[in-house]
Amino acid sequence: MKVSSTFLTPFSSTFPLISSILQNHRKPNYIPFRRYSCVTSSSSSSSSSSSSSSSSVTPISHKPQIPLFLRPPIYSTTQPDLHNFITWAKTLASSIGSTFVQIDDGPDSTLLLRELNWFLDDAVEDPLDISHGRSGTSAKRVGLRASLDEMYKLWGSRIQERRPFQYVVGCEHWRDLVLSVEEGVLIPRPETGKIVNLAEEGLKEGGVWADLGTGSGALAIAISRVLGKNGRVLATDLSPVAVSVASYNVERYGLQDSIKVKQGSWFEPLKEFEGQLAGVVSNPPYIPSEDISGLQAEVGKHEPILALDGGVEGLDDLFHLCTRMSIMLKPGGFFVFETNGEKQCKILADYLENVTGNCFRDVTIISDFAGIMRFVTGYRI
Amino acid sequence: MVHFLARRSNLRSQILRQTPKICAFLFSSKSNPQNTQNFPPYYHKTRESNFQESTFLFGNAIPLLNFSGYSTNLIKNAKLSSGYDQGLVFSSGVRFFATQATAPATSDGLTVEGIVASPWPILDEDEGDWKSHASAVAQSIHLIKKRLQWKKLLVRLDLLSVELNKPNLWDDPVHAGKISREHGSLMGKVKEVMDFEQELIEHIDMLKLAREENDSELESETMNALLRMRRDSKERELEAMLAGEHDSASCYIEVQAGAGGTESNDWASMVMEMYKSWAQRRGYRVTLVDEMPGEMAGIKRATIKVDGKYAYGYAKAEVGVHRLVRISPFDSAKRRHTSFAAVAVIPILKDVSTRVQIKESDLRIDRYRAGGAGGQSVNTTDSAVRITHIPTGIVATCQNERSQHQNKATAMAVLQSRVDQLEIARQAQMNSQHTESLTEISWGNQIRSYVLQPYQMVKDSRTNYEVSDPESVLDGDLDGFILSFLSASVDKHGNSL
Repeated sequence: MKVSSTFLTPFSSTFPLISSILQNHRKPNYIPFRRYSCVTSSSSSSSSSSSSSSSSVTPISHKPQIPLFLRPPIYSTTQPDLHNFITWAKTLASSIGSTFVQIDDGPDSTLLLRELNWFLDDAVEDPLDISHGRSGTSAKRVGLRASLDEMYKLWGSRIQERRPFQYVVGCEHWRDLVLSVEEGVLIPRPETGKIVNLAEEGLKEGGVWADLGTGSGALAIAISRVLGKNGRVLATDLSPVAVSVASYNVERYGLQDSIKVKQGSWFEPLKEFEGQLAGVVSNPPYIPSEDISGLQAEVGKHEPILALDGGVEGLDDLFHLCTRMSIMLKPGGFFVFETNGEKQCKILADYLENVTGNCFRDVTIISDFAGIMRFVTGYRI
Repeated sequence: MVHFLARRSNLRSQILRQTPKICAFLFSSKSNPQNTQNFPPYYHKTRESNFQESTFLFGNAIPLLNFSGYSTNLIKNAKLSSGYDQGLVFSSGVRFFATQATAPATSDGLTVEGIVASPWPILDEDEGDWKSHASAVAQSIHLIKKRLQWKKLLVRLDLLSVELNKPNLWDDPVHAGKISREHGSLMGKVKEVMDFEQELIEHIDMLKLAREENDSELESETMNALLRMRRDSKERELEAMLAGEHDSASCYIEVQAGAGGTESNDWASMVMEMYKSWAQRRGYRVTLVDEMPGEMAGIKRATIKVDGKYAYGYAKAEVGVHRLVRISPFDSAKRRHTSFAAVAVIPILKDVSTRVQIKESDLRIDRYRAGGAGGQSVNTTDSAVRITHIPTGIVATCQNERSQHQNKATAMAVLQSRVDQLEIARQAQMNSQHTESLTEISWGNQIRSYVLQPYQMVKDSRTNYEVSDPESVLDGDLDGFILSFLSASVDKHGNSL
């Protein structure tokens, strides 16, 4: 990475041409992966498939990263040096213009500049130091949660590698939660929040709920906070990184007693709860394999393929869940799934009503806030 | 030493006996925490040590000292009573000011109004003439009373006291709460001025006494106290200008660029920066709520939230159109350009009961939608929310929070304040000049011009206040403009109280 070293020099006045950065993104360098079959997967075969898609072989005892804003402010710099960083970072963000938008609907400068403000909020100990950058004196030290060098690297990676902002700062603000995220864990999307609202009615009944493919633990935590003392949540994920990050998030919200995070494929770790689940929620991988290569760089290049790729039609995992659900849900149990859109919603709704043999009632398709059919809900008879 | 302590305490008890109402008043009212700071702290300290000495020297003086006390001590005690009791205490205590209040006077009958009317010259602070200090303080008290519209204030206070005394007051708790809050706030203002007046009179008495007794130590101590009062009175004059109902509230400041593309967008962002640094200088907390950037540079419009006491009171002076004249850095031909930016200021009402109830069904909520498939295919940190209040057409947007949840909450707060503002304007149309929204501001009528080229000047067309250093003004040094406008608008009504 010769480019990045000149790129990241704080005082370099010239930046490499945008086009040279962008070329990297035109040829996606996906790591080839083996698909695993949910129906037949045993936990050993699935963890081997997960390791092939994440950056390195991760032992079960993965140590979750601490989000930037929670790290201690053990670093410091001067006001002028911070100001230089800000000027550099702004120039870098502004130079993008709408280039990423044109390539793959990525972020534009406006959004990147907004992200820069959030980045500074997280990295600088006292927010007043950010605005005083220009008039500040060099004598005063500014407390930082990452060294200035690291800040250059982090912001450089946001623009140059199109690393998702949420991985850069190690957290995602989702609904009213702030969740730790890192490479290997899907960043929860705003749309997914609606699952919590859809489940609200059912959650009043309490009981044992399951969040399958929990990722960062977002749904499990949100649901558990609605359930309160009224029930429990079982969260599963095949990826050991996801399991450790979800457990960390669960702990941060003090919900260790209400949420059990288990490693394994879908319902597999939950055999003892057969026919007992009061509710099932899931946001499984649903993007058709052929669409993966056209994804926005932040998604396709950085987020775990395990959490995105749903097979040829994108329905492999959704079908698996629907099939197993008739066994796992108790009578009257409620379910919500997120899907890729109208086509998948309709196929699933038809499948649940007609193929599963009268197992489900009130199967409903619900749109997200953008008006795209996104969720399928219903009840076990 | 023993000698004047006894003297002093005698004098003090004498003064307080002359005005027993004030004594009762001090005991029963809530004291604003600021009050104690306004009393000379050193004076208080020396007094305490004197008390200890005197206790040691002659025990029988203690009851007298304790009885007479000093207003500083009494106020400290009074702080213990909570604001909630206040209405109740006053409903049976001292109350009718307009009809009963007598101005405090020195032993030889000198009052604050008397001093104001006297030909005592007001010299510089360091001239060290007591009459000069006393006269300056008296002038301030006069100005403060004028700004507070003193006589009207006392009449209003009496009216409120009558209301508070009605036995069926609490049948309507919302109304009762409103009355009792207003009474408490007016009472606080009246008390503060009366305390200050009383303190001045006491110092004058003390000084005369010291002169008679040839007590140079007491004389210089009293002189210092008068000087501190004189300095303190300037701050109080300012506060008296911010006596409007919502002046103490936090606020939103909105800036919108006029026509003219990049140059005017740049000007709008300069104006916004000016307010950000002004607010930070004053120690307010500033948060960006909403921002629509210009295509090339600057902003089309933006909203910030300014949190802190009197933020609205000060910022309301900035409402209107601000004009910039300069050689545009965006014009390759280096021509002079004139651009405009409109500023609106919206108070954030603290009292929930006075806010307009907004019905959920009257709202339309639009969220930012990612293009394409959405869901897992898209990762964006953009979670902008726009809320429209259908009955009034008022719109609020927010995109600077990090989750849709937060953006919605913040946009809702802005919307609430805008709807409240509309209601304030409707209720008090006479006083609506500060509550104009951006859309109502007329572009033709600027309040201030900032000229960078060919000469350097910032001039307020309302007050004619001007400075020749635009750089410092744009860096947030706005207090001169704000205060001159506020004092001009408060002090313009005649010279009577």
